[in-house]
Parts: sequence; C-alpha cells; structure tokens
Amino acid sequence: MSDEVILELPVFPLKNAVLFPYLGMPLAASRAVSISAIESAVATEEKEILVVAQRDATVQEPTRDGLFDVGTKAVIRRLAPVPTGGIQLFVQGVTRVRLHELTQEKPFLRAKFEPAPIALEEGAEVEALEREVKALGAKALSLAQPRAEIDIAQLVGDDGDRVRWLYVLASIMGLELSKAQELMATDNLADGLRLMHGYLQYEVQVLEVRSDIASKVQSEMTKQQREMLLRQQMRAIQDELGESDEQGAEVELLRERLDKAELPDDVRKEAERELKRLSRLPQASAETNVLRSYLELIVELPWNESSDALLDLEHARKVLDEDHLGLEDVKSRILEHLAVLKLNPDAKAPILLFVGPPGVGKTSLGKSIARAQDREFERMSLGGLHDEAELRGHRRTYIGAMPGRIIQALRRAKVNNPVLMLDEIDKLGRDFRGDPASAMLEILDPQQNDTFRDNYLDLPFDLSSVFFITTANTLDTIPRPLLDRMEVLSLTGYSEEEKLAIAKKYLLPRQLEQSGVTAEQCAIPDETLARVIRRYTREAGLRQLERVIGQIIRKVAVGFAKGSTEAITVSPDDLVEMLGPESFHLEKARKDLPPGVAAGLAWTPTGGDVLYIESILLPGGSGLTMTGQLGNVMQESARAAQSYLWAHSDEFEIDPERFRDTGVHLHVPAGAIPKDGPSAGITMATALASLYCGKPVRSDTAMTGEITITGLVLPIGGLKEKVLAARRADFKRIIAPRQNEVHLRDLPDDVREETEFIFVDHIDEVLRAAIPELCAVSKPAHKS
Amino acid sequence: MKYDPYEEIHGLDFSPSADVYRMPTGWVVKFDLAGVKPKDVRVEARGSVIRVVGVRRDQFVERGYRHHSMEISYSHFERTLHLPCVCEGATITTEYTDGLLIVTIEAGETGESNKRVR
Repeated sequence: MSDEVILELPVFPLKNAVLFPYLGMPLAASRAVSISAIESAVATEEKEILVVAQRDATVQEPTRDGLFDVGTKAVIRRLAPVPTGGIQLFVQGVTRVRLHELTQEKPFLRAKFEPAPIALEEGAEVEALEREVKALGAKALSLAQPRAEIDIAQLVGDDGDRVRWLYVLASIMGLELSKAQELMATDNLADGLRLMHGYLQYEVQVLEVRSDIASKVQSEMTKQQREMLLRQQMRAIQDELGESDEQGAEVELLRERLDKAELPDDVRKEAERELKRLSRLPQASAETNVLRSYLELIVELPWNESSDALLDLEHARKVLDEDHLGLEDVKSRILEHLAVLKLNPDAKAPILLFVGPPGVGKTSLGKSIARAQDREFERMSLGGLHDEAELRGHRRTYIGAMPGRIIQALRRAKVNNPVLMLDEIDKLGRDFRGDPASAMLEILDPQQNDTFRDNYLDLPFDLSSVFFITTANTLDTIPRPLLDRMEVLSLTGYSEEEKLAIAKKYLLPRQLEQSGVTAEQCAIPDETLARVIRRYTREAGLRQLERVIGQIIRKVAVGFAKGSTEAITVSPDDLVEMLGPESFHLEKARKDLPPGVAAGLAWTPTGGDVLYIESILLPGGSGLTMTGQLGNVMQESARAAQSYLWAHSDEFEIDPERFRDTGVHLHVPAGAIPKDGPSAGITMATALASLYCGKPVRSDTAMTGEITITGLVLPIGGLKEKVLAARRADFKRIIAPRQNEVHLRDLPDDVREETEFIFVDHIDEVLRAAIPELCAVSKPAHKS
Repeated sequence: MKYDPYEEIHGLDFSPSADVYRMPTGWVVKFDLAGVKPKDVRVEARGSVIRVVGVRRDQFVERGYRHHSMEISYSHFERTLHLPCVCEGATITTEYTDGLLIVTIEAGETGESNKRVR
C-alpha cells in the first residue's frame, strides 16, 4: 500500500479483546476517551472508527505506546445509550489496518492508519495448511462442544474466503488476547494459518486431556450412578404401587453407613447379604427389626478402628501417681506392659486380675490405667451374672436376641483396644442356663480371643487388643482354669498411715469441693482424721471413711449456711458431738491378762484385727467346749493345740490328769462374728498352756501362726494386715512363723523399726517368748 | 494503486432487504434502500447473479445533529441475488423512487458483460 492512502479516524481503545475484520462485536463504552471517539465517529457520514486493542487493560487513558500496531477499521452499526451512563454499540470489523502516529490525544484519540489487508497466497503449501487447520478446527470444536455439532463450514459460509474463515475460527476458539493479537499482526495468510495451526494443536491437546479426565471420572462414577438410578427407579415403582418407601430409605441409609464403615472383607460380604435380605423383606415382618439391629451392630462395631495407645512411660507414671497412692506392684506391672508394647507393638494385652477388699480402688485404678495410656475405658459388672448368653449373646433366631456384653461394650467404646474392666468376676453365678465362667475362659485366653465369636454376631471378632482388667474380692470362688488365665495382682487394704495420707490428699479435698466449703473455712487436722479412721470406720477400703469425712464437713457447712463466718478447726474431741459415739471399739492391748488368755491376730477382708482367745477351766467337766462362732478349721486347730500340750505335759510340769478330769471352755470374742482359719493355732496353744500352768501371758505380745500336732509352727497369710492391726492396738511384740519373715519387707519402715518381731519354728519358742514364768520350768524339747 | 473502498469491503456490509417479482417479460427486483443517494449505488449483473453495492451516508451529520442512539445501518452495503434467469445480456434498467431501488431485468440479446448502470 502506498502512502497516499493513509487515512485518519478516531480510535476506540479495546480492552482484553481483539476485533477481527469480517466480524461483528458488541462493545460497551464508558470511558470518556471511548465515548467521545464514538461520538466523533458517528458524526461522520460513514460511521467508521478504528478499533485497536490496548496492551494493558488497566490503563484508562492509553497513549500510542499503549496500543498495538495492528487493529481493525470498523463501522458502527448500532448505538444505544445506557441509562446508567455510557454507550452500548455494535461494530462490524471491516479491514485490518496498520496504525501510524496519533494526531490527537484529547478528548479522544485520532490516528493515522493505512489499510493493510492480509496478503492472500495461493499454492500447495497454503492449501495443505488450510486443510490441516480445518480438520484440527473441526476436531477442537467437536471436543469443546461435543453436543453442539457445530459445522465450521456452516458458520463461515461457503464463499471460499479463506481470510474470513481464519478470523471466524479464531473468534470461535476464543483465543486469549496475546494469541489473538499475534494472529492479527500476521501479514500473510500462510503465516496466519501456521499460527492458527499451532494454537489449535495446543487447544486440541488440552481438550483431549480434559475429556480423558472427564471420561475416567465418568467411568468410575457410572457404576455407582447406575445403581443409584436403578434404586431410584425401584423406589418410584414402589411409590406407584403404594408400597411404603420407609423401608427402602432405611436400607439405603444402612447401605451408606456400610459403605463408609471399614469392615473386613468377610464381614462386608455377610453384611451385604443380610442387607439384601432386609431389602426384600416386607416391613411388617418380625425379622425386619432383627435384621436391622443386626446390621446396625455390624456397622457400629470397631472392626478396625483403634485408638493410638499412648506409650509415654513418664506420663503414665504421673497419671497413676496422681490418682492413687501406693499400690506399687500394680503400677509397675502397668509400666512394664507399656514398655513391652513400645518394643513390640503387637504384644498381646495382658489380662489382669485385681483382687482386694471393697473400696481399695480397684475400679478407679482401672480407669486411671486407661487414662495413663489414653485408651477408651469400658466397665461392666459380672456380679450376679448367671447366664452364659449374657456374655456371649443369644443366637439371632431367638426373639429379643441381643449381642453379649463384651460386644456391647466394644460397640460403646468405638475402638477395638479399650481397657475393658470386668468387675466382680468372683461373683459370677452358675445355674442350669449355663456357666458364664466357662464362657469367660474363651474371652480371656489371649491364644483364642482373636477370633471371639459372639452368638448373636456370628462373625469372628478380634479381642486380642483389648486390655482386660478383672476385679474380685476373693480368689476362692474363681474357677481354677479361669484364674490360671489371669495375672493376679492383689490390692491389700490400706494401713492407717496410708488411709491418712489418702484422706488428706484425695478424700478431704473432694468432699470439701462437693459441700462448697473451702479448705480455709474448715480445717481437719491429722489427729482428727486418725481418730475418724480408727473409731468411726473399720474397713480395708476407704468408702466409709469418705462418707464420714463428708458428714463432718456437712455439719460444718450447716454452721456457715446459718451465717457464721468463723473458720472452724475440727478437733478430735468435737467428733463425738458431730458423729455421735464412736462406732467401733478397738480391741486394745489388755493389761494384766489372767492365765488362759492370749492375744492373737486375725486377717479379715477389711484388714487385720486383734483377737483375744479366752479359756477357763471347768472343774469336774470334761472335754473342750468352744464358742464364738468358730469354724471347723479353727476348732481342729484348738484340739491340735490341746493334744500337743497333753502329750508334752511333763515338759511344762502340768498334771496330765487335769486334761482328763477337767473340762476347758475356750471362747473367742466378739461372739457374733464368725471366725475360721488355722492361724490362731499357736495363740490357742499359748492360751491353753497358760491356763493349765496358771501363769499369765505377756500382755504386750500378740501372735499368729499355725500349729501342727508335733509342735511345728507353719506360715500364715496376711502378715502385713495382722502386724498393722497389732500396732494399732499398741502391741510391742509380735510372734510370727519364721517362714513369714520375708514378708517384713511389705511393711512400712516405721512399723518395722518400732515393733519387736520374734520369728519362731516351734511352739516351744512361742511359749517361752509369750509366758515368761514358763521359761523357768520348761526345758527345750526340740532341737532347732 | 488507487484505494477502492468498494473492493475492500466485499462481504462485510449490511444487506438491504429485497423483493423479487416475476413479470411476463422478465424480472423486477426491489431493494429497500431508503436514504441512499442514487449516485452512491451501483448495480452489477454477471451470469444469473445480480449484485447491488453502495454506501448509505448519514446526511444529518451535516446539520450538526448528534446521535443519541442509532439503529439504521450506514456505510457500505451489498446485496447479491441469484435469479432464475441469465441477467447477462439482458436489458437492465434502474429506477429510484421513495427510497426504493427498482431494478427491471428484461430478457434480450446477449450484450456486453458486466453492464454497469448508473
């Protein structure tokens, strides 16, 4: 083109778009530069304007540098004002132009330009390019809009104008600004086609990947969608038939939950089968409910969920110490187990049995074991349970069948490794319906319980991660095979000192808090607590003690509630007024015992106790009369003691005829309490020896030990409790079997130091130590 | 080379509406071309195709009026019609009345091709 055709027109700066020649485009003008350019263009006879893209869309008043060099001359076809200001217009691109300098910048841009239509070329290369671009264009369009079935030829018109065709394709493809402008800038058709070819290729690739992704997603979806669709249709049919849809919805809900739950494969299979059955059952059927609760159970059971057990030994130690004082054996066992778990995460959880009197904290210890390891805690009482089905469930064929307690507990715990506490295992019953203890055998055997089969569930469930803790008050009623499976840890009663410490640390603060009284308002000194422990409670555990402390605090609270503001210190002497007369008479060491009386020591579930054995001669009577609710063992041990003395009467200078001619009455107070056991053997022997000789027993001495008919002293149990009881009653000397000497280590240091222990092998030693005056006459009869 | 606006705008213009009538002697084509000066219209016939090109100029701008809105298309127009007859060589007359361009085609001897009528 020569210079003489350089023309001049107003310029419309276009943001974010390119107007191609041959194409129409609606525009909106709101900028002053645009509006006045349009006004100027419309004010000419031919309504022509230059539409040139802006390089930067954020510039409001572009200069020459802000415009591209190639634009389009266009004719304004339509014009309408916008009520909110600005103008809407429709322009028709006419020809490609090359922009020269601006001749005006205000109030609108005017520029010189020369028409620069794209150069047409003929030839094989252009022809080839064109065909290729057409094919690619058709592909791109079909990929982008598969449904629309756009035919390019149809869009463009078949008049063979290749340039127009190129621009129409470019505008359909929605090229981004830089690409579109690049296409605008090409001077000849071949270059334009090449450029377009590149764009299309890229576009086709992107579209192919996109449709690839879409089809993959779709094929995954299709199966589910199909099922869903079919179900919906089924529901529609049921609706149509007037069959209620409630059941369908419920089945659907169950199915969703089933899909979400993490089930082992065999369980899932079974569940799916039952679900299918459920969906076919009429709703009124009795079995529907059964099936439904069964499926709910399957869904809710923690087949694979487990909580991450915390294996922090120090944390565990801290928690255990926080909650319980003493109980070293149990605590160290728990820590050992945690240590093992740390080294071998698959180690089987131990099965522990806590045995001890009521109120010593067995149950709460279980709770704090769970807390120490950050496990879930579930507890159930086996007390009075006499039906095996309670543990293992009923078969589903029974009406009202339920899963067993173990499975129920796991369902509640929601994890498969909780601490499961089975309380009162010694109180399991047994009758014609079955023997729950035998069912426990399976549950508590680590070798078997990984495939525990509940009758109701009828699927194997792995219990091997469950940390079982059982509790019992006594081992006597637990069947041997069951006992054999558990690790017995005994929690003996607390000593007075321990009780005092626990009362101060736990019970008192807890009761204060419950009554809303502050520690400043109500002080209970140690002497008072000690008296409460001795005189108002008699137990191995702490429940009664806690109750009495609560009672004291409530009495104090009454005062505050009445308006008193004075802080109160409860002295030991206030107790009678507050709690009434002392509830328990403590067997104190009696002073100046008459001949025939000796102090023994007894073990009771509530701790030790002092037991006086009293005997008197019955002149003219005969035999041995025993009273005081003595059990068989105890009576036999009394006879053994008497026989020994009779046999050795010469050694003790007792007239043997007294055994024959005189009766003896032996009584053990308090008469209302049944007593049994062999450990009073040496005490009875001592009492009888003292009686026959007429010489008293030392009043500061208490004793315990079993006696044989040949005078040997056999070991006894419960030494710790017995010693603590003796100390409470102010005995300074204790005679005990030699073989029990090892148990001294269980005793608190102060008790060990302040008490004189005499360990014996033979009754002679007992008698010499207990009856001082006998020493003179008796001669050692046995060789030690 | 002279810049020829008619060549440049091929295929881009607005198309005026047209009616085609059949006459015993030939054809009449009526174009809706209000506001177009006869000197700005050109009628061409080639084969069976008749083509009308031209420019509609907005003469009101000379009076200093300014558009508030615009719906009439100005600038170049073009309309090509295929007729069921051969126009080439036919006698073509044009008449411009009341804003309508009436083109009459009467069959005749084959004359010069690409007849230009003004």
